[in-house]
Amino acid sequence: MQNNECVFICEQFTEYRENTLSIELKSQVDTHLAACSSCAKVFQELGLVLDKLKQLPTLSTTQEFTNILMARIQHLDQESVLHRMYNSSYTRVAGYAIAAGLIVAIGLNIWIDPVSLSNPDRSPGYAVQQQSNQIPQSKSFAGQIDSSSDKTEDSLKIQYKSIDSGSQKLQLVNDSE
Amino acid sequence: MTQVNLKTDEELIAEFQAGNENAFVELVDRYKDRLINFVYRFLNDMTDAEDLVQETFLKVYKNKHAYREIAKFSTWIYTIAGNLARSELRKRKRRKTYTMSDLSYADNEFTPVDTDKDTEGIVFNSYAGEEILKAIKNLAEPFKTIIILRDIQELSYEDISTILDIPMGTVKSRVNRARLKLQETLSYLRE
Repeated sequence: MQNNECVFICEQFTEYRENTLSIELKSQVDTHLAACSSCAKVFQELGLVLDKLKQLPTLSTTQEFTNILMARIQHLDQESVLHRMYNSSYTRVAGYAIAAGLIVAIGLNIWIDPVSLSNPDRSPGYAVQQQSNQIPQSKSFAGQIDSSSDKTEDSLKIQYKSIDSGSQKLQLVNDSE
Repeated sequence: MTQVNLKTDEELIAEFQAGNENAFVELVDRYKDRLINFVYRFLNDMTDAEDLVQETFLKVYKNKHAYREIAKFSTWIYTIAGNLARSELRKRKRRKTYTMSDLSYADNEFTPVDTDKDTEGIVFNSYAGEEILKAIKNLAEPFKTIIILRDIQELSYEDISTILDIPMGTVKSRVNRARLKLQETLSYLRE
């Protein structure tokens, strides 16, 4: 049965084994171990456990360990080169230049052709085209309708003519038969 | 190459910081097995342990300039590996996944045989060794870490204090308590 003294003595076992206790404390442990079979047993078993721990077989890494590691490092280096390139000042300057170019291009476009900005459905240069395609002031809207109806009549006449010529061809075929 | 072997870890990392990749390869050769033994005791899975050690070296490679010669290189690399291992354990707890080694021995009806990895076979061959590994695995995280660092990796109290960022006195008392816990767990082996 362990009492408080036993607990205190057990707390000294590591240093007692390693011979790092003070002379007084060492002598106290010696005396206690000689008198207390329970603590003596614990101390003896502790020694056996520590011996077993030292005897545990040592493990080794596989033969390919270093090769695999170096391959991973090489891959890591390649990644970091790409990362550095991405973050390099040259790349950043190129990015700024492209952004500035785009801003200038958009600005010029707005300055030359402001209509296209207000009406994005219209194609660029719409204002110029509009001017050239403007209907003369003298012609009225009714006149436009008339002219379009004339065009329709003309196209109908052409269709009739082609139907007539088709029927003539049929007649010729029938005659020859 | 013989000359490189004579250099200290701190000299090698300084050379690597200056751009000598061979110095890094030498550090990998020096620490890969030490770290696999350290990390494996946390994860109990050889493949995961190798992946984690690779991650550790990748971190060293990427953050080589973060190392300052105020601490030993060994404590720096153990700190990185230990942090990664603990974070992996936390992830596993969240995922609640169970590997073969997570099963109790009664449930573990067969032992997977991997002819390429004799090391794992050696570890599980001895019943006492098996029981010790199981007992370490079941220790609370701070005790487990301290036992691995002190009794398996055989690091000094000073290095452990730096790695875990705890006072030397705490390291010593924790080592003692962890050993007593192990002894208590394994006492039935001698009954």
